[in-house]
Parts: sequence; structure tokens; C-alpha cells
Amino acid sequence: MKLKAVLLWLAVGLPLLWGVYKTLQNAMALF
Amino acid sequence: MAGSFLSRESTIAPLDYPRILVPPAALAVHLAIGQAYAFSVFNLPLTKLIGIDHSAPGDWNIKEVVWTFSIAIAILGLSAALFGRWVERVGPRKSMFVAALCFGGGFIVAALGVHYHALLLVYFGYGVIGGCGLGIGYISPVSTLIKWFPDRPGLATGLAIMGFGGGALIASPLSVMLMEHFKTAASNGVLETFVTLGVIYFMFMMIGVYNVRVPAPGWKPAGWTPPAASPKLVTRAQVAVDQAWRTPQFWLLWVILCMNVTAGIGVIGQASPMIQEIFAGRVSATTAAAFVGLLSLFNMIGRFAWASTSDYIGRRNTYMIFFALGILLYFSVPSLGRAGSLPLFVAAFVIILSMYGGGFATIPAYLRDMFGTLHVGAIHGRLLTAWSVAGVLGPTLITYIRDYQLKNGVPKAQVYSLTMYIMCAFLLIGLICNICMRPVNPRYHHTGTESAS
Repeated sequence: MKLKAVLLWLAVGLPLLWGVYKTLQNAMALF
Repeated sequence: MAGSFLSRESTIAPLDYPRILVPPAALAVHLAIGQAYAFSVFNLPLTKLIGIDHSAPGDWNIKEVVWTFSIAIAILGLSAALFGRWVERVGPRKSMFVAALCFGGGFIVAALGVHYHALLLVYFGYGVIGGCGLGIGYISPVSTLIKWFPDRPGLATGLAIMGFGGGALIASPLSVMLMEHFKTAASNGVLETFVTLGVIYFMFMMIGVYNVRVPAPGWKPAGWTPPAASPKLVTRAQVAVDQAWRTPQFWLLWVILCMNVTAGIGVIGQASPMIQEIFAGRVSATTAAAFVGLLSLFNMIGRFAWASTSDYIGRRNTYMIFFALGILLYFSVPSLGRAGSLPLFVAAFVIILSMYGGGFATIPAYLRDMFGTLHVGAIHGRLLTAWSVAGVLGPTLITYIRDYQLKNGVPKAQVYSLTMYIMCAFLLIGLICNICMRPVNPRYHHTGTESAS
């Protein structure tokens, strides 16, 4: 069950982190 | 077989099921449907389907194309209101599955519209079918999460609804990458991107369909006992959806959501031209795009941060902060613009957008406090019609006021000042409604035998 929890959180967390990274990368243009 | 897999009964979790598995299921759905906020990346490419690199005769114009998003948001609110009771009845798995079919299928139908160059088919595919996926998907996991986290309802719904804000952060770069990948001499890649996104989002939402569970009747978190005395504005009673919308509290919350969203959504739509015109010569189109990205990021962060905070300071106090601080910030924006203070200007707007997101994420827990958990999903669905109204009211008002002032000779850098003061007035209305909030009259309480689980 712990492995399932880790996999599930990774499945939703990794795309979200990628999106945040890309946004911050672009936001650097502001500063 | 599929019917039984999708039924509410087959989603009832054993008593020892770890609730930590449920939020990712909700996030999978919200991260997918949050793509809607990034639909604008398709606006220009949709006007170049024939010309590929430029708009050719026969290509759609931008005014026609932007209706796709407006229809989708309007249908979101309507479908959430119409299907709320159905979602409560059939449970989260079947409703998430239907949402996945509608949202993924909507992209495929919209791709057909691109293929045949039929704009009505794009409206119908993404706007109507996809919009139903948005509405059903948005409310599907909310009441389930509230039941799994009776001790932290704000945190739970904030986590899911954060996904709706975060979905745009993923969809925007992903869509651009896909369009570049599929671009050929004969196609600008929109058709292929729509098909690919339809498949990806359907599969991603199926993660939620497979993993969502509802708690068994009588389940409660280990070691948690409901507090002996509830705060004044947290009810232990249940109010059915057909009674809830007859109460003044429902309409006060409707206005609260509508005012909060109107104030934020108007800014989101105009953020790029606004910062370029107020800081003319200092902010380029690229920098303005970075500003819009930053607003999206704080829209997402605010959903989680404010909704979680509301578990500690209370829902009404959280909205007091949204409205009071919002008025202060909107009021100061024209001065910050005149003073040429770009960092403070950006800081003011990221806080405003965090509260815009926070308003969305905190409202389900506010509804649960006022009406209980019995039909909170369905009540939430009906309340989302406020979003549909705000989605039209906010951008229309900002655009109208801007155009009116420009016609009357107001310099571009100053045309937004009046808008900001009007937003202050909207937030003041929200503040008054929030102050007026009282517990629901017991005559509306549910006395039937329907289970709240």
C-alpha cells in the first residue's frame, strides 16, 4: 500500500512539478 | 461488469484504507481539467489553420475563436449545477469516468472541427462536451474528499482544487511543445495536438477513476473524535440540496464567490496588456507573459495555502482577509503604477491572484460548514453558476471600461485605475455578504434517513 501511495503521488506530482519549473523558468524574464 | 466497477458500492473502502491514497485520485482529475485555463495558447494557432504561419482568407478570426473558452466555462457552471445531484447519487468513480469521457472526447470532436474547418464543431466539442467534462470532473471528488478529511476539509479540497490551477501550468508548455512537434508544411499541429491531449487527459483521469474510494459508513480518521462543541458557523446538521438553495446563506455564498471571482478573472484576462500599458517601455510582451505565468502559479499556490489556513482560522475569517486585503491591494495598484514600482505592482497582483484561487478552494469547506456533508457536492455544483456569471461579468466589464476610457482620451497607462476602484466595490459587496453570514435556520435541516456517507 505504501508503494502504491508513493507511485500515485509521483504520478500526479511529477507533471505538476514540471509545470511549476517551466513557469518559474519563464518568470525569470521579469527579474 | 463495467457497471459494477463504476458503481458507488464498489468504491466503498475497507475501514483500514489509508486516506492518503484519495487526494492523488482527485488531483489526477483536476490537473487534467485545469487545462481549460491554458486554452488561450490555441487561440492564435486556430486562426492560422489554412495559412499555417499566417491568417489566410477563410481562416477564423480571434473574436470567433475565443468563444470556445467562454462556452466551456459557461457549460462548466451549468453542468456542475445540473449534474450535482447525479454525481452525489452515482458516486465519484462513475462521475469521474463520465468526466474523462467528456473531456477527452471533447478534444477529439474539436479535432474533427479543426479537420473539417467547422468552428461550430470546435465549440460543440471543446465548449459543450468538454465543458460538461469540466463541470462534472470539478465537483466529482469534492464531497468525497470532505468525507475523508472531516478534521481538515479545507486542506483536502484545497489540494484537489489546487490541481485545477496547476493544470494550466502543465498544459501551457505541453501544448506548445506538441504543436511544435506536430507542425509540418501542411499543418500547424493543432489537430494532432487536440487528439494527443484528448488521449493523454483521458488516460490521466483514469488514474483517478481507478483509485478513488469513498469511506465506509461510520468511518472516521484514527484517533479523531468530532469536537464536542462546534464553532458557531460550523453545523452538525445536514441540509439537502433542494432546501439549501432556498436559504439566504446559499445566496450570500453565491454572491461572495461571484464577487471574488469577478475581481480576479477580470485581471487574469487583461494581465498581459495591463502591465505592458502601465509600465510602457519597461515591460515587453515576453516579460508580460512571464507575469501571466507568475499569476497562474500564485493562483495555484493560493488554492492550497488559503484553504488549508481556513481550517485553523475559520472560513468566514479567511474570506474577511480576501475581501479586506483585496480592497486594500486593488486600491493601491493605481498608486503603485504611477510610482513606477514594478516589484510592488507584481507583488500586489500575485497576492490578489492567490486570494482568487483561495476563494475557489475554500468555498466547498464553507459549504460543508453551513450545510453539512449530505449533499455538499450537489450544493457546490449549483454554487458554481456564480463562476459562470463572473466569467462573463469580469472580463466584459474590464474590456468595456478600458475601451470607454480610451475613447474619451484617458492615457493608456491610466485606464485601469477606474477598473481597480470598481473591483474594490465588488469586493466590498462580498465583504458585506460575508459579514451577514449566520447559521442556517433549523427549519431547513434534513430529517430524512438518507446517509451522509
